[in-house]
Amino acid sequence: MAIDGLIILDNTGRPIIQSGFRSTSAAYPMLHVDAFNNALPKSHRSGDIDPVIYVPPYNVADSPSACCHVECADMRILCPVSGDVDPLFAFAFLQTFIDILREYFGALSAATLKDNFDVVYQLLEETLDAGGHPLTTSPNALRDIVLPPSLLSKLLSVAGANLNSTINSGSGGGPFSSPIPWRKAGLRYNSNEIYFDMVEDLTAIVNKHGTTLSCSVWGKIETNAKLSGTPDCLLTFTNPHVITDCAFHPCIRLQRWKRDSSMSFVPPDGHFTLAEYRYTPTATATSARFISTGPPSAALAAKENIPIPFLLKPTVELTDSGGTFEFKLTSRMPSQTMEALVAEMYLGEGAGGVKCVASRGDGGGNLGRRAHDTMSTGGSATGSWTFDAKKMAVRWELPVVPPSSVWLLRGSFTSPSSGPRPAHALQVRFTVPSYTFSSLKIDQLKVTGETYKPYKGVRGKTSGNVEWRW
Amino acid sequence: MAALSLESASRTITENASRLGQRLQESFSEHTRDLAITRGSSLYLEPDDKGKNIRNQLDSSSDREKLDAMKRLVALISKGRNVSEYFAQVVKNVASQNLEIRKLVYIYLLRYAEHEPDLALLSINTFQKDLTDHNPLIRAMALRVLSGIKVPMIGSIVVLAIKKCAADMSPYVRKAAAFAIPKCYELDSSHLPALIEIISSLLRDRSPLSIGSVAVAFEAVCPTRLDMLHQQYRRLCRILVDVDEWGQIDLLNLLLRYARTMLPRPTEDEIDNDVKFLLTSAEPLFQSRNPAVVLAAARVFYYTGPPSYHSRLVQPLLRLLHTSKEVERVVIAYVHALSHSNPSLFSPFYHQFLIRTDDFRQVKQDKIKVLLLLANFETHQAILREFIDCADDPDDQVVSEVIRAIGRCAHSIPECTQQCLTALITMIKSQRDAVVSSAVMVLKYLVQSQLTAASSSSFASVAATAQQSPLKIIEQLARRIDDIRHAQARACVLWLVGQYSASNEPTKGPEGVVEWAPDILRKAAKSFSAESPLAKLQIITLAAKLLVLCPSDRKLSLISGYVFSLAKFDLNYDVRDRARSITSLLSGLALSEVVGLKDPDQESRGGVVLRREQVRLVLFEGKVGVADTEDAFDPKSAVLGSLGMITQKPMHGDSILPDWLERGVESSLRDSPDDAPPPPPPPTSVSSSTPHISRAKGLASPVVLSPSGGSPTGANKTQYTDLDAFYADDNGADDESDGSEEEDSEEESGEEEEEDEAEEQRNHG
Repeated sequence: MAIDGLIILDNTGRPIIQSGFRSTSAAYPMLHVDAFNNALPKSHRSGDIDPVIYVPPYNVADSPSACCHVECADMRILCPVSGDVDPLFAFAFLQTFIDILREYFGALSAATLKDNFDVVYQLLEETLDAGGHPLTTSPNALRDIVLPPSLLSKLLSVAGANLNSTINSGSGGGPFSSPIPWRKAGLRYNSNEIYFDMVEDLTAIVNKHGTTLSCSVWGKIETNAKLSGTPDCLLTFTNPHVITDCAFHPCIRLQRWKRDSSMSFVPPDGHFTLAEYRYTPTATATSARFISTGPPSAALAAKENIPIPFLLKPTVELTDSGGTFEFKLTSRMPSQTMEALVAEMYLGEGAGGVKCVASRGDGGGNLGRRAHDTMSTGGSATGSWTFDAKKMAVRWELPVVPPSSVWLLRGSFTSPSSGPRPAHALQVRFTVPSYTFSSLKIDQLKVTGETYKPYKGVRGKTSGNVEWRW
Repeated sequence: MAALSLESASRTITENASRLGQRLQESFSEHTRDLAITRGSSLYLEPDDKGKNIRNQLDSSSDREKLDAMKRLVALISKGRNVSEYFAQVVKNVASQNLEIRKLVYIYLLRYAEHEPDLALLSINTFQKDLTDHNPLIRAMALRVLSGIKVPMIGSIVVLAIKKCAADMSPYVRKAAAFAIPKCYELDSSHLPALIEIISSLLRDRSPLSIGSVAVAFEAVCPTRLDMLHQQYRRLCRILVDVDEWGQIDLLNLLLRYARTMLPRPTEDEIDNDVKFLLTSAEPLFQSRNPAVVLAAARVFYYTGPPSYHSRLVQPLLRLLHTSKEVERVVIAYVHALSHSNPSLFSPFYHQFLIRTDDFRQVKQDKIKVLLLLANFETHQAILREFIDCADDPDDQVVSEVIRAIGRCAHSIPECTQQCLTALITMIKSQRDAVVSSAVMVLKYLVQSQLTAASSSSFASVAATAQQSPLKIIEQLARRIDDIRHAQARACVLWLVGQYSASNEPTKGPEGVVEWAPDILRKAAKSFSAESPLAKLQIITLAAKLLVLCPSDRKLSLISGYVFSLAKFDLNYDVRDRARSITSLLSGLALSEVVGLKDPDQESRGGVVLRREQVRLVLFEGKVGVADTEDAFDPKSAVLGSLGMITQKPMHGDSILPDWLERGVESSLRDSPDDAPPPPPPPTSVSSSTPHISRAKGLASPVVLSPSGGSPTGANKTQYTDLDAFYADDNGADDESDGSEEEDSEEESGEEEEEDEAEEQRNHG
């Protein structure tokens, strides 16, 4: 499997940086840039463009190819492939490359990449062979070969860069000296720390009657390790049975996980995703439901026992020239506060004249007092709304949603003569800090192979993306 | 003594530090313009850089100048400028002491070596010297440049270089050597024997790091020499889990091809042990974070496993759907192909494919196709509801696709026909053009197939008991003809009305036709001039059909005549032709009062004149049997995990998976001393069972990449206990001890090297 190369486009569709396309004609990369730029305005909704674009051959003798592309901040990264290459390969490489860029430059933008184009070129050269095969993609190994841009390295390079190579070979014993491909050798920290972030994401579809059609929670254990030497970690959970369908960082010993559901690993240095998983509600709850309702096995798998943390009552009426809508949102979280809740509805091609009133209902029940407090202190007591003219969508934003609070949005919009064509669903996104659906608990972390006791930290965070139909 | 040396050491350190400080200060005061560093390198990208005095900078003695020049060159490259004119000056810097400069020089060389082979030839000595550099990075880079120079003349030099690097002690360099093999082969295929020899030696490589690139070289250079893998097959399976993620993909594909070519076809009852070993070795890879690895493992399961194994690839593929929108797009297409041959695999998980409004259009369309395949007796209710919900989608293409799906659902699952019809008839009342037209087309298809079935079989009873018999549906459609504006849909309704208007029941209107049919013709005649050509053709046919059914009705004849005469002078030649042919067909009805049919030349023309019964036969019979067009692309024709399956177009170079041999090759061919079961975990491995690493050896102790296969060495063993038993006879512990010795010696040399370096530095200091 090999890709043909990589092209980074800025938001005007012009290439900023591209890998050398050595085995193809000079027109080949331009052909793909054009194919992408032509497909972009044809997309029916902004951003709705097939991630794999078929590119017909330039000459009759050439074979056809395809352009895989992903959006990344204000840029697009194109990855032309041809022959019988699996497009997943292209997307996997693109994701890896983007992760590497993030590791090197933090927040990405076209300007950042232009500022550091020499580093990006070095990264391209080290991650991709001339034949399009990935070479070194582990961030730890790369950091030995390509120095991350820091003020220090810039100062040194100005001061006459002989020091550069000295530093390079001095600290870690030079590139590829580490016996573990994903870990730098010879690391030293004054304070040894390791942090785990359990980040869970709920995706669900709810139909117009408020019934959950599909619902799943996918989690990630994002880790930041700052440990000296070669620590061997053993992470055990009190309730590992709540997770299934795991995917692991290569550092995890799969056999150990299979044997007793504990994660044994020598971590890479810095940020990495240790594992990904799917939350499965407890077996007892599932079987209880099975006995009470007795649905066939298909239905059993259909709805996991995860409650949607809010209730939405959308009322939309369409007329020939537009429509009115009213959304009523009630938080169903028992004690946590939802944050950054954004509900979005696509209003259809040519929609306009959006007028809305956002208000806060008098819900809250026994928590009313607390809710009142938030209202008086918080700046946005009613929530706010905007109309995104590019995406043709009305957006309703509630920065803080206390438990059991009720929120309202009433509004109207106009449509062109062909009649209103809104999407029959709202996309609701939210986050809940310090909360996980699975309540997956780390029992303990044992570090062997080193003498120190590391400082450990665990945090939970949940986000959600619910489609609520009307 | 010790104290003294310490003191002197500290003195040198302080001296060095002060010197460094001085130097920093100097550079700052000297080059104030370098304060621009805070702006980053983007200033190199500014358009006014015309590349003047780059040459001088490259020739200067200052590293800083050289670095600046190289950055400017790379910037020019990124702007698409051809800067090959500086090749000679750049090559001179390839031996620079500064690693930064050297890397940029190599980047430049890697880009231009192919275009400037002659100049590159001049520097071959430098590259050859670099092959012996102590830094593995430089050795690998030198080989990459060397193999990139496209001059057949140096083929043998490159082969030598590859050979040297293939025996390098750094797996990184060996990896580069393997990648260089295909390039060398492309350059001059006469080196094939030498290259194959290198590949076979690399195949025996104990490090899992380079094996993936060896698989690449193998596929490129000698894909047919699968016999070389006999001895390595089991070992390759075993180290699969420790190979880097990209290598796993290539290795899995190679092993899959080997299995299909060399192993006996597995059946439910009998699976060859080697096939089973491949499957057990590939299964842990389903837990890879890399979607391409997961798919490669799924390919192995799908193409080598017997059907009972196929269910194991379901959950991993479903997991991928949540990775990213782009991955979802690709995986859905694969799921579609898989469900085509076996819908039961995914049907319990249909709810994973429910359509979200923010999906890509292509994803929505593929999800509809998948759901349609998954619809069975248990799931059809939910899936049909999903289809009906989806008919509200803002995208017209998706809407027409989903309405077609409703029709097919009704066809394939008779239990839901009624529900589908109700839904479709509701859709006809919609305001949306796209909805109405698709619904009409699907209804036509359904009505026709029902009527065919009713007339041909006992299905009649079903049709009769249904509340909405097909004829009733046509009537409903006909009554709404004014609301149906879409050309094709109108034409379709008109055709249906004509085709099924025959009736023997007594009505208030003209006898022989259903009551509502003549009115449709009246309306159509009124708006004839405004109709689309498609509808006009059908209006003519409708008029002719009604006329044949009821030739005695005067009003009907007059309207038909009006239509025919309008059509004869239509702008569209198809319409004119149709009118002429129809009128001459009807000439046998002898309807003199019909204006359009009066043909002055009729007597003189002669020829055959059809009787009414014959005309009726011509007009009505043989019109059924329309088929809903299937997808043009057959997903079975493409191999899972290939580009052609995603683009739905033939991509040249699509590989075809070999079919199983009747009987595989002799299993003993694969026996090798390497197959000895791994001995108890070596004390040095990072395994939780033996946590005490011999730390005395320091960092260079072989922590993970022990020959028996990396990380979970200790844990690894347990899984293969049954196979251990299988291979128990040819147990040879010698291999393992060999390996560790090798490893040890490698480590030692590594340490030595390090010491040398340290010494060098000391000397420098």
